[in-house]
Formats: sequence, C-alpha cells, structure tokens
Amino acid sequence: MGAPPALESGEPMPLIETTSLTRRFGSVLALDVLDISVEPGIIGLVGANGAGKSTLIKILLGLLPQTSGRATVLGMDNLLETRAIRQVVGYMPEHDCLPPDVSATDFVTHMARISGLPRTVARERTAEVLRHVGLYEERYRGMGGYSTGMKQRVKLAQALVHDPKLLLLDEPTNGLDPAGRDEMLDLIRRTGTDFGISVVVASHLLGEIEQVCTFLLAIDAGHLLQSAPISTFTERVPVLSVEVEEGAERLAGALVAKGARAKADGAHVLIVLEDDALYDSVRDAVANLDLPLVRIEQQRGRLEDLFRDAAPVEASR
Amino acid sequence: MSGQRSAPASAPVAPGASPAGSIYDLGYRHYEGRRHGPLYAAWSLYVESLRSVWGFGRPATAKAAPFILAGLYALPAVVQLAFSSYFAQAVAQGQNIELFAYDSYFSQFYVLILFFCIAQAPELVCRDQRYQVLPLYFTRAMGRIEYAAARLAALATALIIVLVVPIVAIFVGDVLMKPDTFSAIADELPKALPALPASLLGAAGMAAISLAVSSFSPRRAYSAIGILAYILLMEAIPAAIKAVGAGAGWSWSDGLSLLMPVSSLDGANYWLFGSPLPNAFTGNVAAGAYFASALASLVVMTAVLFYRYRRMPA
Repeated sequence: MGAPPALESGEPMPLIETTSLTRRFGSVLALDVLDISVEPGIIGLVGANGAGKSTLIKILLGLLPQTSGRATVLGMDNLLETRAIRQVVGYMPEHDCLPPDVSATDFVTHMARISGLPRTVARERTAEVLRHVGLYEERYRGMGGYSTGMKQRVKLAQALVHDPKLLLLDEPTNGLDPAGRDEMLDLIRRTGTDFGISVVVASHLLGEIEQVCTFLLAIDAGHLLQSAPISTFTERVPVLSVEVEEGAERLAGALVAKGARAKADGAHVLIVLEDDALYDSVRDAVANLDLPLVRIEQQRGRLEDLFRDAAPVEASR
Repeated sequence: MSGQRSAPASAPVAPGASPAGSIYDLGYRHYEGRRHGPLYAAWSLYVESLRSVWGFGRPATAKAAPFILAGLYALPAVVQLAFSSYFAQAVAQGQNIELFAYDSYFSQFYVLILFFCIAQAPELVCRDQRYQVLPLYFTRAMGRIEYAAARLAALATALIIVLVVPIVAIFVGDVLMKPDTFSAIADELPKALPALPASLLGAAGMAAISLAVSSFSPRRAYSAIGILAYILLMEAIPAAIKAVGAGAGWSWSDGLSLLMPVSSLDGANYWLFGSPLPNAFTGNVAAGAYFASALASLVVMTAVLFYRYRRMPA
C-alpha cells in the first residue's frame, strides 16, 4: 500500500472535520467534545462496542443531529448541506438491510436510482459494482438465500454504486469467517487505493484496521484517544523492550524522569525509541538501580500492543 | 445468460491491482455524469412501489393477492358487461332489472377495496422497517417526507386503477345496451365522469388510512390487523353511539357519522355524483358534509403518516 490516494487535484480540504462535536442520549454522553480532522485516505475508526463509532457516522450522514459542536464532510456542513453530502457519500450500515425477496441486481439498481442515477446508468453501474464485489450468478436470486459474506458484499455494492467520494463502512466484517474477512478487507483496500475513494472503516478489531488503513482514529467512550497515520505506529515509533528480573516499575520511573516515554508491563519496560541516545539512558538507569538485566530488544510491535499502551504512554509524557 | 462470462482479456485493469485480486479486477469507472435530485428519487420510488403493489419484481405468489382482489372487485361489473345484450333485451321487454350503477358500486363492494389495502399497504411500508432498509433511503438524495409521499402516491394510484376498472365496464355495458352508440356515449359520459374525482378521493383516502396505520408496525400481520381494527372500530363505535342517541333523542349524535372513515368516502361518492344518499345513511347529515369529512380524514391520515416518518429512527 502506498500513500493515501489523491482525490481531486490536491486541494487541501479535510475529508472529515469536527469541532467540539458532542452528542448526548439522555444522560449518556455518546460523543464528548470530539475534535477530529482527517485527510483523504483509508481511515480506521476504532473503538470498543459503544465507544461512539456508529453515532459519529450517523452524525456525519445527518441521520442524527449533534447536541452541540460542528462537523463537516468534504467541506460541507453536516446539518446545513446534508443532501449535498449524501450525494457524494456511500453508507454501509452495521445491521442487515436487505429485503429477502428481491434480487441483488434489482435492489442495487433501485438504490442507484434513489441516489439520482438515470435508469440505464443505474443498471450498468450495478452490474459493474456487483462484479467488483465478487457477486456473479447469485445476483439474480432473492437475497434471502445469501450467505453472510454475500450479504456484506451487496451492502458494500449499494454503498458504492453511485460512485461516492467517501465510503462510510460500519463494521464491514461483522459475522464473516476469516476467509470472508480477508476478502472484504482486500475489497476495501482496493476500493480505497485503486479507485481513489476515501473510506472510513469503523471496527472494534484493530487487526483489521492495521491491515487496510492508512490513518487511525481511536475513540473510547466518546473521547478521541488517537489520531495519527498508521505508519506512526508500525514504522516510525519502534519500541525498545527491556526485560529485567525485578524492578521494572522503578526502571520505568527513572526513564520517565529523564524524559523518555516509558511504561512498565510485567517484567518488561516498553520505551518509545526516539533516538539512539536512549540506549545509553537505559544502560545508565539499569546500572544506577543495579537491576538484573535479562535482555534489551527492539520491537516493531503490532499496532494492537502499541494501542493498548498508547494512552498510558501518552499520559506519562 | 449474458454478462456472466469471465472478463475479456482486454478488460481494463485498475493500475496497481495485485494479481491475486484479479478475479474481481475488471476495472472500475468513475461516474461523472448527471445526478438527479430528490424529485427523481421520489419518482423512482413511486414507480418501484407501484410495481411492488402488484407484485412485479417479486415472486409469482406476490401477484396473487392484488390481482385476485382487484379482479373480484371488478367481476360484477364485468359480468354485467358480458351479458349486456341479454340485459338490453330484458329492459326492452319492460322487465325491471336493477343494474350496477356508477354511484353505488363502491358502496356495494368496498369490502374488497378494504381487503386490497389490508393485503398490499403493509407491503409498501412494513418491509423497509422490518428489514431495516430505511437508513439506505434516508442517507441518499431522498427525504423522509418524499419517501412517505411516494409510497402514498403509489398505493393511491394502484387503488385508482382498481376503482376505475368496473366503472369503465359499467360504462361500456351501458353504451352497448343502447341501439345508437354515439348518442349513448353522449348520454352516459356525463353520468360516468364524476367517477374520476370520486375514485381519486376514494383511492387517496383509503391509501392514507391504510399506510398511516401500517407504518406503525414493521410486521405485516400486525399492520393488517391494525387497518382492519381502525376501520371496524371507527365505523362501529360512532354507529353504536348513534343508535343509542337515536333512541334517547340526542341531537348531536348524528354528526358522529362524519367520524366513520369508509362511510364518509361512500357519502362523498354519492355527493360527487349528485345522487341522494341511500337509506343506509341514517341520521340527518348532508351528503356534502361527508365529502368534507372524507377530505379531512385524508388530510389527517396523511399528516399522521408524514409525522410517523419524520420521527422514525433510522
């Protein structure tokens, strides 16, 4: 995967921007003063169930009004220019949304026309998009008999059929087996990179985000946890793992005191490796505390590990 | 079947596509052409709805109910048309035959219209709720009110067709019964024409009632029972109070007739034809008042339907 695809001719318009976006359901705060700004690309929106992912997507689409704050999609205000946004956005909901007694061809064609495509164009694009998502003979049968994987493909197809500039996918791999997941992720990646369509993938599975996305947005309980390119996590921030027999907490404390981003994790101390001088600091700290050192290892830890540690590391900065 | 062969070798492959993904890679083209707005979307939904009321684009079984009910509703008039030469002879011989008339046909067979609504209105508004399709509409170039209006217009159009077919059959039959076709058309046409506004009002009125009630449940069965219950209760309760009031000499209870949805449409029908109300209409209520109450019912039920869709979570 290369750099995020260029959408239009390089205008620096953020794909999605929110300022102090807040949404309250009764006493529950679903989104809490969320400030986001993302550029076009494949964006992973990660968070546990109930973190506010679906709420954010629905607000961007104008399905739900925010309690306060602003949100823009491709420079358009979500409340004032709802219709204009919807013309250029495709939405794949998390839940089932396919009537069982209609064929995929009829259904997607109908949805294309509801999106404003003329009749013949709607038919042509339906055929193309269904082929793109990998649905062949089955597309003439009623969708009630489809497997979960086929249903997910149709859901993606209906979101793509009107050639949107931005796809909002809510848990696109829900209910898929591992092979189906990989195929769906591959489809998402190719949609984003080959066709230059920006994609927001909401998921509670970090592994998926890691596979396909170029940018990560992590939210938890309506707060923004992380907002950075994926490469920040997997490449540019290598981690030094120092294993000691005892005193990991003390070592971490000493390193933090010297300005390093460190965190004790069992018998290990994980330190964000910013420059080579860190090796000296580690050596000195271990020597000063007289700790039994087992090994020092540079990791390019999986995103998942980093993410788990991200908040504490951030906090200890 | 066409379009299912594997891709021709010359199919454009998107740049950068990996060979592993080549199964699906038949190229993707962006669409730069025209995009229509909400009116076109509403029109598309209207056409799709009208087709689905009649079961087109659905399995064959979906066509049974609408066609059978519409056929049954038209049957008496069609039979009369088929035997029009026989009736013409009988009338010429001075026999007194009660033939189906434009103004009273709805009165006699409205139960089939009610069944048609019970069978087909849930088709239009329950499925999208039950299968959660609504978010797909509401995130497109279509507003909630446009959605509801397109569904309503489609059911009303279907009902107009159902209502007008027997009127046409009666018209043709009446014309054929007369020796001079041209003067017969000139005679009959003015008598038949009020059927147009009457069918329009009847169709819109029944469609608004049945869709407004159906929209409150995602389940067909509950919606069907809901429509039946609404009509029966709204007819029976005022009738019962009227019966008591007539015995007790209440002066106000006659006005309750105007709350009855089907009776209002029926009375409006007679008013539009300029015919006197038959004896079944008890109480001292003018035919024009039924027309007004039928219109009011149409407006109120349409408002209920729109309100329901405004508030529907998506």
